[in-house]
Amino acid sequence: MTTLDAQHYDATAAGSNQVLTFTLGEETYGVDILRVQEIRGWSPVTRIPQAPNHVLGVLNLRGSIVPIVDLRMRFNLQRAEYTALTVIIVLSVESAVGRRDFGLVVDGVSDVMDVPASDVKPPPDLGEQVSTEFIEGLAAVSGRMVMLLDIDKLIGGDVAGVTPLPAAANG
Amino acid sequence: MALDLAQFHDAFFDESYEALDTMEASLLKLTLGAPEPELIGTIFRVAHSIKGGSATFGFSEVASFTHTCETLLDELRGNRMQVTRHITDLLLKSVDVMRDMLRGVQTKEPIDAQRVADLQFDLELAIVQKNAAPEVLQPATPVVEKAPPATSSATSAAHRWRIQFRPHPQLFVHGNDPLRMLRELSELGEIDFKLDAANLPSLDLLDPESCYFAWDLTVETDATRDVVDQVFDWAEGDCDLKIVDEYASTSATRAPAAVPVPAVAAASIAADNVVNIAAAQKPAVETPKPTTSNDHGESPKQGLGDGSSIRVSTEKIDELMNTVGELVITQSMLSQLGTKVSGPVAEQLRSGLAQLERNMRELQESVMRVRMLPISFVFSRFPRMVRDLSQRLAKHVDLKVTGEQTELDKTVLEKIGDPLVHLVRNSVDHGVEMPDVRVAAGKPATGTVFLEAYHKGGNITIEVGDDGGGLHKDRILAKARSRGLIGPNDTLTDDQIYELIFLAGFSTAEQTTDISGRGVGMDVVRRNIKELGGTIEVRSALGKGSRFIITLPLTLAIVDGQSVAVGTETYIVPLITIIESLQLKPGMVNRVAGQGEVFWFREGYVPVVRLHEVFGLRPRATQLHEGLIMVVEGEGKRVGLFVDDLLGQQQVVIKSLETNFRRVDGVSGATILGDGAVALILDVPGLIRVASQRTAA
Repeated sequence: MTTLDAQHYDATAAGSNQVLTFTLGEETYGVDILRVQEIRGWSPVTRIPQAPNHVLGVLNLRGSIVPIVDLRMRFNLQRAEYTALTVIIVLSVESAVGRRDFGLVVDGVSDVMDVPASDVKPPPDLGEQVSTEFIEGLAAVSGRMVMLLDIDKLIGGDVAGVTPLPAAANG
Repeated sequence: MALDLAQFHDAFFDESYEALDTMEASLLKLTLGAPEPELIGTIFRVAHSIKGGSATFGFSEVASFTHTCETLLDELRGNRMQVTRHITDLLLKSVDVMRDMLRGVQTKEPIDAQRVADLQFDLELAIVQKNAAPEVLQPATPVVEKAPPATSSATSAAHRWRIQFRPHPQLFVHGNDPLRMLRELSELGEIDFKLDAANLPSLDLLDPESCYFAWDLTVETDATRDVVDQVFDWAEGDCDLKIVDEYASTSATRAPAAVPVPAVAAASIAADNVVNIAAAQKPAVETPKPTTSNDHGESPKQGLGDGSSIRVSTEKIDELMNTVGELVITQSMLSQLGTKVSGPVAEQLRSGLAQLERNMRELQESVMRVRMLPISFVFSRFPRMVRDLSQRLAKHVDLKVTGEQTELDKTVLEKIGDPLVHLVRNSVDHGVEMPDVRVAAGKPATGTVFLEAYHKGGNITIEVGDDGGGLHKDRILAKARSRGLIGPNDTLTDDQIYELIFLAGFSTAEQTTDISGRGVGMDVVRRNIKELGGTIEVRSALGKGSRFIITLPLTLAIVDGQSVAVGTETYIVPLITIIESLQLKPGMVNRVAGQGEVFWFREGYVPVVRLHEVFGLRPRATQLHEGLIMVVEGEGKRVGLFVDDLLGQQQVVIKSLETNFRRVDGVSGATILGDGAVALILDVPGLIRVASQRTAA
């Protein structure tokens, strides 16, 4: 992608239409491709004391110390075994204190897809039981539902240490 | 032709502040009554380039004020005035005012115009008064030339300067604005000008960035030739200039008709304007030998004008440091791999790796040295401060500085300034006695404050001392007793007594002055030094003086650490916090109220902090005698840190956790180990706090 394109997408971050999709159990999630720094395999992390449960620890990512978040634990799903096939997607978030990089542990990376903005539907209100505030929208791509994540809302608070997220508090 | 000058503002401010520091340092070195052309020349050049710069950028107040200074300095330079205490005081105040004015312009905040005007008046008065002095020879002086223009036009002028100003086409390209020069000239007096546009080409041939005009000017003014010349200073080499005084009676002897503008002159102007980058074309300026320790700390220019240098942003250096840190890690990974290789090439590989390791170490050291600056950057503020303070307190104090070329990391340097200011202020205020008291005690009336810096081991030591009264142990003890800090019958060693002065809110000064004695201070000093990973100790002898000895690490980027293992994790404990590591035997541990575990260490009971409990880990050793106890100290508290095992000592490069994560209590940062894994560096004082909160909860 050229710089010009990148700028264009940055300016219209919400309308950017390429997403990286990954799976977590049966579900498919998507993140804005421009937030993805790299994809790497699992390696043991260094634990961080007093961190929320879903923050597994930190890794050395070419010299910078990057926190690793387990998305399963973040969503209170059953914990999966970490194997050589477990994938970490390194993403950047905009938080209250600036740009942060972090790694997201997911079951597997699927594909890069074009999701036209017109195909994105707002998440339905599922009542008190299901929190949808981290879902930017839902998109149906070739018969499958992809949940587009708002990673700033999902992770921003964790890595910047501003406010604990509600889900983290009850998990 | 509107060139955007704003882009040069920052550079101008930076250079001006540095130049003002030089000016201040030079002023302090001036001896009264003795003309020192070199020093006065340096001072004059500073004023001159600030004036030129601020006029170019349109900071007219600064330019006007600096101009008055310059006039005064010109008198000094020409030996038409003597350097008196009054004059140096005025000039030092001017330095402050110029600094404030520049800062005001930079931050776009208003400044105290009255103060500027008062000082400017004082300066002008000083210039006028020298006329009254008998030894003055020169009658014509530019006294009121910078006074409001209204007055200058009315007087019958001493000169009528006829100026032929023929700019070369490239004048604009070099940032010169003829309009500015004309405006400046018009401020000197009655001006009459004729534009010569004969060279103006037709519009299709016109290059908008070239200057096609020329001017014939006459200025009726009291201003001297020098003043007129200065207007065109910046354009030297970019124009043909002819200046003739039509009232030629006085000026004919003084100046030749044409101003020669050889390349050398232009070069020297350039050098004047960039005082901090004393380049090779300035051999007249004495270049100090880069001695590590000079006995009388008055090395000229203090490294500011030393050799050629370039400005590099610290960000770039930090990036470089990071990359080198990476390389070191990669190299140690390779070295570990190298030991596992066997076969015919293994030996070659290993010797190659050994070579790489050597080179890496050198590279790391060189990069580290880039961040190092001589401590004179901090010390340079003290001569002025001591001078001002002693004047205010009516004491006689000499400041003796040694080892100001000792280098240390910029970050450390920036943070050590305030504590040192505090200590020096204390020495002048509390340490050195009044002259009569000193004489009565058989000491010279003039007290001495020492400031010393030197390398010792892998650390830098800074000593602040005085030959004053020393610390009054009895008074400190009495004060501590009255505050209930110690019991009435406690006996303390000297060191313990001196420790008391570092407690918050402790001051033994009989009265609070506006300089010191409010008791905020020594505790902050010690805390700041501890934050830098350093220590401070006191030596004192009653009647002879006291000495504060500060030991600091050379850099904050690297820490000497002890790796310890807890469960599967590795942590780094800064060596400076470790007092002793020991193994407890069963029975050596006592319980307090059935809860807290304590053991006897040296002269007291020390609580045990199980690191695995604080950090929520599963340890290998659960019984105290199975693992090791590391006695660590933070903020005056000692605890026994219970860990599984000690692994080894190493220097580690500190990385911040906050770059991508947030602050974690009890952890000061992280580092990358030889195998590429991350290890956390413990923040011992923070850890002790966390641990005590846990027991309290």
